[in-house]
Formats: sequence, C-alpha cells, structure tokens
Amino acid sequence: MAMNELDPLSLTFQALADPTRRGILARLASGDADVSELMKPFALSQPTISKHLKVLERAGLVARGRDAQRRPRTLVTAPLEDVDRWLEAYRRAWEARFASLDDYLARMPKKKAVKGRARRSR
Amino acid sequence: MPGDRASRLPGDDRGARVTLPSECEILIVRRFAAPRAAVFDAWTSPEHVTHWWDPSREPLAACDIDLRPNGRFRFVPGGGKPAFTGVYREIVRPERLVFSTVVASGAETVGTLRFDADGRHTILRLTMTCASQSDRDALLEMRVDAGTVRTLENLGEYLERPASRPASS
Repeated sequence: MAMNELDPLSLTFQALADPTRRGILARLASGDADVSELMKPFALSQPTISKHLKVLERAGLVARGRDAQRRPRTLVTAPLEDVDRWLEAYRRAWEARFASLDDYLARMPKKKAVKGRARRSR
Repeated sequence: MPGDRASRLPGDDRGARVTLPSECEILIVRRFAAPRAAVFDAWTSPEHVTHWWDPSREPLAACDIDLRPNGRFRFVPGGGKPAFTGVYREIVRPERLVFSTVVASGAETVGTLRFDADGRHTILRLTMTCASQSDRDALLEMRVDAGTVRTLENLGEYLERPASRPASS
C-alpha cells in the first residue's frame, strides 16, 4: 500500500503516464465499457487490461458501474479536473508574462525588429 | 492588476495553452499579433526583454544576454523576485531558440522556443523538457507556489465555471 502515500495529484499523473491507460480513459470518455470491450482496441490480454484498470481505479479515474454481471467501468472526471486546475495556475503565470510581451510587441521600436530595412513612419 | 482580463480566460485563442505532450515535457503555445522576427528579437535583445519579462511591466533590474551558442543569459526582475538564468544552445533567427536552465532539484531543463509564421502573426511554442517526470511536476508545482495570488484568483474563476464542463476540452 506504499503507493497510497502519494498525494492524489501524483497518483493521477502516475496513472496518466502510460499510453494504454490514456487510451482506456479516451475509450471510457465515449461511454462505459467492460473489460472484454476494453480489450478489443488494444490487442492486450485480460490480465494486462485488468492491471491497468487497477491503477486507474486507485487514482480514482475509473469506477465500477452498477451492473454486477458485466462489471462495466466508468470514467470519473474529478481527478482530471484537479490536473486541469493545477495546469491552469501554471498557464496563468506564463500568460501574465505573454500578455506583457503582447503589449510590448504592439509598441516595440520597428528598427530593432526588422534588420536591414529602413524605419517607416507610422 | 489592470489589463485585459478577458484575453487571459481559458479557451480564448489569444491566450496561452498549456499541455503535457509527454511524461517529461510541458508545452506552452501562444499566438502573437506580430511577425516572427519581432517576436524572436523581443526574446533575444536585452533592450526588449527588459520591458516585458516581468508581468508587472516594470523594467528588469538587470538583463544580460550573450546571444551565441554556450552564451549566458540572466533576466533579473526588481523586488527580489527570482531571476531567470541559463545558457543558449541553439540560435536560428527567426525560427528557433534553444536554451538550458537549471531547476530547483539541480537538474537541467531544456527550453525550446519555436516561432512559426501564421500570416502576419506568430505562433510561439515553448517546450520545457525536463530530465524526469518528477522534475517536470516539480516545475509545475513551483509555479503554483510562486503565484499563490494568481492561483487563488484562478481558483475563484475555476469554481465559477459550469460544473458540467468536461475537464479535457
């Protein structure tokens, strides 16, 4: 259970750090699916798919549906929203800088920008 | 802070987009209404960098740029804010600029700026390539800490978004 000591965001990133698991999430985004339905597009064995599903379940990205026979898996978006919010803070920090660059480009002296061309009056 | 708040909202195509293209990378994409030579020069001449690097628009306290492979750069904002320093690796005006910088863990992170012309505009792609996934996540996290005020502001904005909105869009 050592893995559970990771904070939720790290668990989410760990779960997302595998292309097959991202593929499973993409598949589940278009609707619930059971293990045999998830096996088809990936050409992987049932134990392999089950192993990936276990990682996704531990990260809270996938939950089991109500149908006890089929055991369909369903996508849970809450952890992805946490990642989204986390990235948004980083994005805002850069956007504040880029907004400043944007303003500067609008008033930047033309002579420096275009070398070897005479400065035009505006 | 004054300014055009609306231009920074997520989903607005004028604003920066951030994605994680691989385990060790962060990609930031932003469109600028200027030709790419101007955007490239704005990144590589101290007399330009000093006027925009600090989001407060205050001129930098120091800005040194030795624009050649293995040349150093140092952008130092006033008020004791952290400096941005590194070494240029590749300089191809006006399309590409590669630099390396050392992150908190002591590991090297490589920044690649790609300037693509789109009509009279420029699409800037900044890829930060870290040595490991934990370095990348630390880099993302550091920003969150450094911008606590912005984070809170962002959180307020995020909470105002419709709950049904899918996270991946």
